[in-house]
Amino acid sequence: MTLGELIFIFLLFVTFCGALTTVIARSLIYALVGLVATMFGIAGLYIYLNAPFIAMMQILIYVGAVAILIVFAIMLAGPFYKKPTEWSKVTKFLVSLIIALFTYLLFMRIILHSFLGGQDTAFMITTKDIGRSLFDKLTFPFELVSLLIVVSIIGALMLAIFSKDRK
Amino acid sequence: MTDMLLYNNLYIYLFVSLFLLCCGIGGLLFRRTLIGMLICLELIMNGAGLNLVAFNRFLAPQAPYGMVFTLFIMGIAAAEVAIALALIIVIFRRFKHIEAEELKELKE
Repeated sequence: MTLGELIFIFLLFVTFCGALTTVIARSLIYALVGLVATMFGIAGLYIYLNAPFIAMMQILIYVGAVAILIVFAIMLAGPFYKKPTEWSKVTKFLVSLIIALFTYLLFMRIILHSFLGGQDTAFMITTKDIGRSLFDKLTFPFELVSLLIVVSIIGALMLAIFSKDRK
Repeated sequence: MTDMLLYNNLYIYLFVSLFLLCCGIGGLLFRRTLIGMLICLELIMNGAGLNLVAFNRFLAPQAPYGMVFTLFIMGIAAAEVAIALALIIVIFRRFKHIEAEELKELKE
């Protein structure tokens, strides 16, 4: 077992523990910390997949933007009223656990029986290639994503402005 | 020799993304507040992005389309989070709570 494999196992451990913390933490802030740990673990996995640009974008966008947005929302809406009860019903926890395990087993069966091969091929895609294909062949989806982001920003502003004092 | 390494295996990445998907589904069903459900939705989107990059690495290593669509997923997730958090803030202002089970009507 090499050092790379040890680091890989550590990244898997961080990802799994972060995901479990995200689901079963009692407080929303702890769930968000678990989400951030998951994102860092996935960024490490992206580096192992020879995609360092995607790893950097993962940290910048998810940890830098999305997690901060969720922190703002938790601070604006979360702890000022009665404690948000996340753990109230045992039956609900059992039902969600059963559904998640069923989904896991089903997809694991599908994955194990459908894909064979495809191991360790040569992979030489750089960030330059990503930019090339993004601006040569996939220009229209790129512009559509930018339009979507603009529309969502305007929509968020509209929601914040026009629903201020209805009461 | 190199295919004996643990991180050169497609199934590891598929299992990680599958685990993230199932954690997200379980959290979506289990959480009661809207922000908690949104956090679990982010888990599902992370799993989808990891899946796309892993398929691009192992099954289609000629073109970078999987990575490009992972970037698209990140952009769409950012837009979705912005809209969803604005809606959650509006809901909190009007109803004074953000628990999903109590939101039975669109208008009071």
